[in-house]
Amino acid sequence: MSRHPAPEELLLDYAAGALSDGPALALALHVALDPASRQTVDQLNAVGGALIEGEPEALLDDAALERALARVGKVMVEPRAVPAARRPGFEWAPPPLVPHLRPGMGWRRILGQFDEIRLDVPGDAYRVSLLRLESGRCLPEHRHTGYEYTVCLQGGYTDATGSYSVGDFAVGPGGERHEPIADPGEPCIALIVVEKPIVLTGPWGRWLNPLVSRGVI
Amino acid sequence: MLSADEAADLIEAIASRQDRAAFANLFRHFAPRVKAFIMRGGTDAEAAQEVSQEALIMVWRKAASFDRSRASAATWIYTIARNKRIDLLRRRARPIDTEDWLVVYAPEEEDAGKSVLAGQTYTRVKELLEGLPKDQLVVIQKAFFEDKTHTVIADEMKLPLGTVKSRIRLALRRLRQALENDES
Repeated sequence: MSRHPAPEELLLDYAAGALSDGPALALALHVALDPASRQTVDQLNAVGGALIEGEPEALLDDAALERALARVGKVMVEPRAVPAARRPGFEWAPPPLVPHLRPGMGWRRILGQFDEIRLDVPGDAYRVSLLRLESGRCLPEHRHTGYEYTVCLQGGYTDATGSYSVGDFAVGPGGERHEPIADPGEPCIALIVVEKPIVLTGPWGRWLNPLVSRGVI
Repeated sequence: MLSADEAADLIEAIASRQDRAAFANLFRHFAPRVKAFIMRGGTDAEAAQEVSQEALIMVWRKAASFDRSRASAATWIYTIARNKRIDLLRRRARPIDTEDWLVVYAPEEEDAGKSVLAGQTYTRVKELLEGLPKDQLVVIQKAFFEDKTHTVIADEMKLPLGTVKSRIRLALRRLRQALENDES
């Protein structure tokens, strides 16, 4: 069980299918790494199952059954699925992340301080990135106008709110300034989902913000 | 009525021998229920019908991945229907990967233990839901039926965000305690 599980209301949003794709990916990764949160999601899914079972008996449209039978006549039952294999070079990536790792994707150095891989996730309200931070390095001080979701995937980091290690989940409310520093040991890798826009608040912020808003950095 | 065991047997019959009669039985039970469930959020009958139809076809395709020791048939079908609802009603270009629910029930993971919910009939969870105070139940139902985040629910109900969060946490605590007591 991680020290920083996702808040339960977000697990409910996730289990109910109400989250946008970016935050849903953050939750999927956390749930894959955190047995306690996974159990909560299992329980919530069972609530979904119970709500479906609790629907009253209704008249079935016979034509619908006929159409479905005709369709399955042409569809193979697929072999039992196995979780996606770990990708070479991305061994730290839990299975739900693997489909998002496209061939040729690589780390890009940003502001000389950290590495980023921008993920292509549908919906433009969120910026979804993998960030890699060498031990002792910190992210530029920044502030969010919206929500930020972070899942630690390798190593660990510390900020004013605590220390985070693999599987830990952080949700940052808007307006909070923070400056995460990577813990000693292997580089910290995290998935970060940020509701746009992002505003840098450090000494260089006012020069860099136009680049951030244009998606250059 | 179809018991949890009967429903699981039907899915396994599809997996092992592409059993069309089993599919028809499963469809008769679940298709109208999934449709009714989807309609509760205000989705029109035609679109709800489509979600239900596509969900049941997916049940056929993925039957071999169903694991009755991890989840009941109704729970598994719920996760499939939920993903279909997102794909079809949000008109996504890219459908959700099956990983979404495979991860939740990943066979390699032993730590969480076999789900206590697998053996639960829906009546137990339903009973627990009915035992929740009205203000907690409403929030849970809105999330599932109307596909809304707790933030949107708070907005719509004109409640402080903190109130909605604490209702969700209280409801989950009761649910969890009851299910864990059942297990021990």
